[in-house]
Amino acid sequence: MQFNIRNSTSSDEELTMQLTDEELHVGLQYSLTNGLPALREWMFGLLERAHGRHKGEGWTITVGAGSQDMIFKGVNALMNPGDAILVEAPVYAGTLTIFQALDAEMIEVETDGHGICSDKMREILENWPSSKPKPKFFYTVPYGSNPTGSTATLERRLDVLALSREHDFFILEDDPYYNLYFGPSNRPPSYFALERDQPEVGRVLRFDSLSKTMSSGLRVGFASGPEPILKVMDLHSMAVNLQPSSFSQMIVLKVLSTWGYDGFTAHAARVAQFYREKRDVFEAAMQRHLAGLAEWVSPEAGMFFWFKLLLNEQGSEHGEGEAEGDSEYIIRTTALERGVLALPGAAFYPNPRKTPYVRASFSLLPEDQVDEALRRLRAVVLEARATSKQARSSEPEVMLTCLASASPGVGTQESK
Amino acid sequence: MVNSLPIEFYSAFLSDVAKERKPSPIRGLYPLELRPGVISLLAGKPNATTFPFTSVKLTSRSPTDPSKEIETEVSGLALAEGLQYGPTAGLSSLLEWVHGLQEREHGRRKGEGWRVSIGSGSQDVIYKAVATMVNPGDAVLIECPAYAGVLPMFQALHCDLTEVDTDAQGIKSSSLRSILQNWPESKPRPKVLYTVPYGCNPTGMTATLDRRREVLALAREYNFIILEDDPYYFLYYGDAARYPSYFALELEQAEVGRVLRFDSLSKILSSGIRIGFASGPEPLLQAIDMHTAVANLQTPSLTQAIAFSLLDAWGYDGFKAHTETVSRFYREKRDVFEGAMRRHLTGLAEWTAPEAGMFFWFKLLLAKDGEEGDSESLIRTKAYERGVLALPGTVFLPRGGKTAYVRASFSLLGEEEVEEAVKRLRETILEARGV
Ligand SMILES: Cc1ncc(COP(=O)(O)O)c(C=O)c1O
Ligand SMILES: Cc1ncc(COP(=O)(O)O)c(C=O)c1O
Repeated sequence: MQFNIRNSTSSDEELTMQLTDEELHVGLQYSLTNGLPALREWMFGLLERAHGRHKGEGWTITVGAGSQDMIFKGVNALMNPGDAILVEAPVYAGTLTIFQALDAEMIEVETDGHGICSDKMREILENWPSSKPKPKFFYTVPYGSNPTGSTATLERRLDVLALSREHDFFILEDDPYYNLYFGPSNRPPSYFALERDQPEVGRVLRFDSLSKTMSSGLRVGFASGPEPILKVMDLHSMAVNLQPSSFSQMIVLKVLSTWGYDGFTAHAARVAQFYREKRDVFEAAMQRHLAGLAEWVSPEAGMFFWFKLLLNEQGSEHGEGEAEGDSEYIIRTTALERGVLALPGAAFYPNPRKTPYVRASFSLLPEDQVDEALRRLRAVVLEARATSKQARSSEPEVMLTCLASASPGVGTQESK
Repeated sequence: MVNSLPIEFYSAFLSDVAKERKPSPIRGLYPLELRPGVISLLAGKPNATTFPFTSVKLTSRSPTDPSKEIETEVSGLALAEGLQYGPTAGLSSLLEWVHGLQEREHGRRKGEGWRVSIGSGSQDVIYKAVATMVNPGDAVLIECPAYAGVLPMFQALHCDLTEVDTDAQGIKSSSLRSILQNWPESKPRPKVLYTVPYGCNPTGMTATLDRRREVLALAREYNFIILEDDPYYFLYYGDAARYPSYFALELEQAEVGRVLRFDSLSKILSSGIRIGFASGPEPLLQAIDMHTAVANLQTPSLTQAIAFSLLDAWGYDGFKAHTETVSRFYREKRDVFEGAMRRHLTGLAEWTAPEAGMFFWFKLLLAKDGEEGDSESLIRTKAYERGVLALPGTVFLPRGGKTAYVRASFSLLGEEEVEEAVKRLRETILEARGV
């Protein structure tokens, strides 16, 4: 078997890879539950380079069929049905379904442009009812979060680590966008790296994915963390799907070992640069069409813009809460009519609510379509504003008509 | 006209977990993307142009002429599809191919109340099917001995495993009937029966036509779903014409929709590629897909794209020819193994020669006084010391217990190794007998 890839440093150069008979044989046969040994070895090396964690220090790696597979098993390893857990909000919708299937009591911890609001988390934990078991873990996407695009700052991360020690919970660090960071060069280290400086190590379960850098269709992801947890996850695999595809793993291994760590880093940097340019294009169009009509924080990693549609004119008495409007309704009605779709923010909240936020992916669309999409969205917001203004002005109108019946001729005209 | 059971029929079969699963709110939006002219910012997919792969070429032996090689290339759109997230149930090209295969093999036509989902190996879809139907603590019918790989999933659900005996003709429908007739009034009836009808792992047995028909009749009478786990279907090498599958035979029934069938490419194309499929009633497959969406999103697109390009290049006839070559290969292996058994274990073990699959299941005649004996300690100690390993039968007993049986797998060893292995087993047994 043979395949061609673009070289990691230049997209014009092609490399042809040929699996040896031995490699092909391994790729076609059943293999170990926790992954191909050589791929795990490569990953150990990568994590050592990227996060300063050394092999043999109480942690290990398991290869999964995508990081979703590992997150699912990790969550199942750590919690019982009905347990309370801490979840950042808004949160990756794909894990919400995992938590829901376990009937988890999801305690939402707010996030903002700097990632998780650790002060809010502290508040929650300090006011935790003494009769109630403490949360088992906290789930977070620390880089270029799906959906908010935000990256947690170093201070926030350190706070969360301290809290996890104080209140004894695990941190599930779901980090598929780690390599898609394109912000300032002093990037914050991962939780997995930072916990090395804690008095005790072993409360972080980290998830990596090759879906955003190599191929989402290959389905290869990794879990790294305390040995006893990963052992339980492997037992889960044995019962449910035996192992991730040897074939996918072998293809990935061939590319990664040919590139080496430097080649991989160069490739990841090129991918990040690609998304950075996409972000810039998208943001420029946002500024052109949505300034004053939406609010956003520019993402520094990942592929998502999370923005609030200002469906009411600002300065109006309609402030926070439901009155800010509901993006879901707008998307399904006005936006659809005008030919633009973004993902309503409600899908990303653990507990149902109305929200004016939407998520837009900037990974796929070319520049002209981005421009057109946001132009249309502008029209949608303007139309929604006009409607809401009308709706608001029609409320007093009822009163005025009442008044009018008492004293005819006053004010009815003006309120239109 | 096929009389398929109505959708409502299955709600009684769904587990609580399956019933509680809500469709993702996002999913409902995707159909809106299809509206002409709509620009979508929905999909959180990475951009495939950032992926390093540009083409994949595969060389395989021609199924009809092994001296020739076929080159298959996955590139362009097919590769792009293979590198990207894909549909939960599987790539549509592969799904289409499998539908065609099931029509040819089992006479089941598309649009008659059933469909297919691709899994990451058949284990993946078997597990999801079980989780979709069985609640913790439920009673489950399972042939005994049974494929050890499914036992942990039933155990994890704390199922009450009810063993159904098997013999050389496969599952004993008489045993099944008597279990069901004597089912305690107060106890909820079992919703599923798990069986491996061809070249069973571990017994190597293939269920006869009569047995299959009786089991199907019982499924109707006592209302349970047959989980037909059939990875060795294409590894049938008996002299007689093969028996139809449960999935095919249920067409003879007054109603259709009590068979959920599992196929695997593990024994015929590659086990490492991890592709299997479930075929059966739509509502059950729907529930399985919803589990997939939570647990692992999908089966890898690339392996599906590669498998499809190969299968498509072969065509159904080429595929058939290939499976015949594979089953002939195992038949020869079986003959070699049986030859060695006859030479060395006559009088020391009892067996029935398998007509499908890759396993010999035999009873060690350890004691002369008619006592059964226990293969486990012998295999783990004496046999191991003598340098031969087989699996003690106890690992295949759903409820555990002692047994004199062992499973030997004859798929990998060469003739000389087989000879030596069986010779060592002979010595082990003789020693145990104290000769
Ligand atoms: C935050 C997050 N976690 C996990 C996943 C699942 O990724 P994988 O393809 O590795 O299963 C995604 C995919 O979009 C994601 O955004
Ligand atoms: C009876 C039976 N079912 C299922 C499987 C799992 O096969 P797959 O590789 O398709 O997951 C096996 C594998 O040995 C098996 O023997």
